[in-house]
Amino acid sequence: MRYPKAGFVFLALTILMAVGALGAHGPGQSDELAIQLSDGSVTFEVSTNVFSTTVRGQSNAVTGGTRLRDNGSGLQLQQLEAVVTVGSLKTGIKLRDEHMRKYIFETPDGQAPDVRFSADTTECPKNGAGYACSAAGNLAIRGTSRPFTIELKVARNGEAFHVTGDGKVTLSTYGIERPSQFGVRTEDEVKIHLDVKARGVATSTARLR
Amino acid sequence: MMRRLALILALALCEAVTVVRPVWSLPTMIRLGYSDCVTCHYAPQGGGPLNEYGKGIDEAQSLRGGEYRPRDSKLVRTLSWDGRIAQDLRLVLPMRWTWAAHEPSDASFLPRLQYRNYTRLPRGFAAHVTITGESDAVRRPDLSYDPPTTSSSAFVNIALLHYRVSRSIEIAGGRDQLPTGVNVPDPRLFIKSRDRVGYYDTPTQLKVYWASKRHRVTPFIYGPGGNEKDGEAESGGGAVAEFDVLSNHRAVIGASALRGHATNGDRRMLGLHARLGYGPWGILFQHDITSRERDDVPDSFRQQASYAQVFWAPREWLVISGIGERLSVHDPFEERLSAGALDVTARLTSYATIGAAARLQRDVIKDEWSKSFMFQVALKTVY
Repeated sequence: MRYPKAGFVFLALTILMAVGALGAHGPGQSDELAIQLSDGSVTFEVSTNVFSTTVRGQSNAVTGGTRLRDNGSGLQLQQLEAVVTVGSLKTGIKLRDEHMRKYIFETPDGQAPDVRFSADTTECPKNGAGYACSAAGNLAIRGTSRPFTIELKVARNGEAFHVTGDGKVTLSTYGIERPSQFGVRTEDEVKIHLDVKARGVATSTARLR
Repeated sequence: MMRRLALILALALCEAVTVVRPVWSLPTMIRLGYSDCVTCHYAPQGGGPLNEYGKGIDEAQSLRGGEYRPRDSKLVRTLSWDGRIAQDLRLVLPMRWTWAAHEPSDASFLPRLQYRNYTRLPRGFAAHVTITGESDAVRRPDLSYDPPTTSSSAFVNIALLHYRVSRSIEIAGGRDQLPTGVNVPDPRLFIKSRDRVGYYDTPTQLKVYWASKRHRVTPFIYGPGGNEKDGEAESGGGAVAEFDVLSNHRAVIGASALRGHATNGDRRMLGLHARLGYGPWGILFQHDITSRERDDVPDSFRQQASYAQVFWAPREWLVISGIGERLSVHDPFEERLSAGALDVTARLTSYATIGAAARLQRDVIKDEWSKSFMFQVALKTVY
């Protein structure tokens, strides 16, 4: 039996260590990290033609995620996605929820597909202690996708993230008529506020859901 | 269904520990983004018939739930003058048991029937009337510095002529309660102590409602209502102003001021109030400071009244409230009262609401306690 020479063994070990070191980056370096939304809510608020009334709703069932890369000066978010099931949106009045589902989210064939936001790539530069950016993508409501931008603020603590965001949806761009009930009619513009927590997922093949 | 029935039964059985408050005003609706009465009532100050949207909310927020569908028949069209007249009959059946220290227990049943009418007239005008028939006086506790209120078997609570100047301005003149802060109508509340004749305090007045997305201002002037005792007829003016702090109709703060003059003594009042709503729960708060003068005492004296209510709606049709109150009157009419109450209101249908409350009150100076239990059923017509 032949044994390798000591010099060859040393070279092999050196190469292995170098390769290992390349894979040992900590947070804040350029490795890609799969991020999954873990907890949070999305709220919407719309004014009406009556001065003293707004309609506000909330869902605590936001799912989604992104692939994140930290390039030192900011975060790069790839394949950003957030999904809200229509049934989880509540306004405080059950009947109003039914009307909302029927007049806003239901397709002609009676389906109510999830509300889905997706953006391919978003650069989030550092802003003070956190990060801030405009995430431009598409928002799908009752299966119709339209361009949508949400202003995001991201706070990071290792692999834990707190993300807040604000945007505005214009119902008419989706061909949705402003809901009206006995003379009280909502405005066309709906304010959206996102407040979610997210965390890194151990495996790079983690599903973004 | 069985759970609902069990809950209704439990509420009914809780009669002994529940009490009622008048049900014609719901400032607790701020929890759902209704920061003012005008969304659901024709009259900006509330208290009158519900508009069509209000009827829809009334039905949707009841145990029965469902969609309000206006009836359309020849009779309804005739009664409503083709939709111009909104009117209803309300029957309120309050039962109260009171136990006060050193006094025999007392039970009272004071049913009252109300007719409420809001008639839209041409060119932006409207007439608003509420008439109450009572079996006995609905009065506040006697105050040593004001004459006692007198019983009335029939009483005109509201007789106003409204004129809508624009979408944001409305003028009303006639007879009504003066605009107040949190607008809770229970006549026994300490904050009602500022009124000269309590429940029957409906002076002749002219008021302007000016509202925008974030503010409401209601200046008013007033004169005697005609039911005051000699020397107590008061004239004056004031205003209530409110601001929507977060611009979402869920955090309203306000201030009110009033100055009145009467032969037997003047009064000046400053008040702060807040209405806050956070989905299923919220807070109502009011604090009034009134400086009073009486001809029979040399100096003015101060009256301070506070009201705080924390409410929670575990169901759309069920509201549970914890209420705290304080009343402090300085020399020579020194008085210090504090009270707490637990209040439950359940809207079974748009026709029927039941309520119950338990109240504990302490006279701090005399160190005497009294307790009361109340149960109320309110029925009204809806078409």
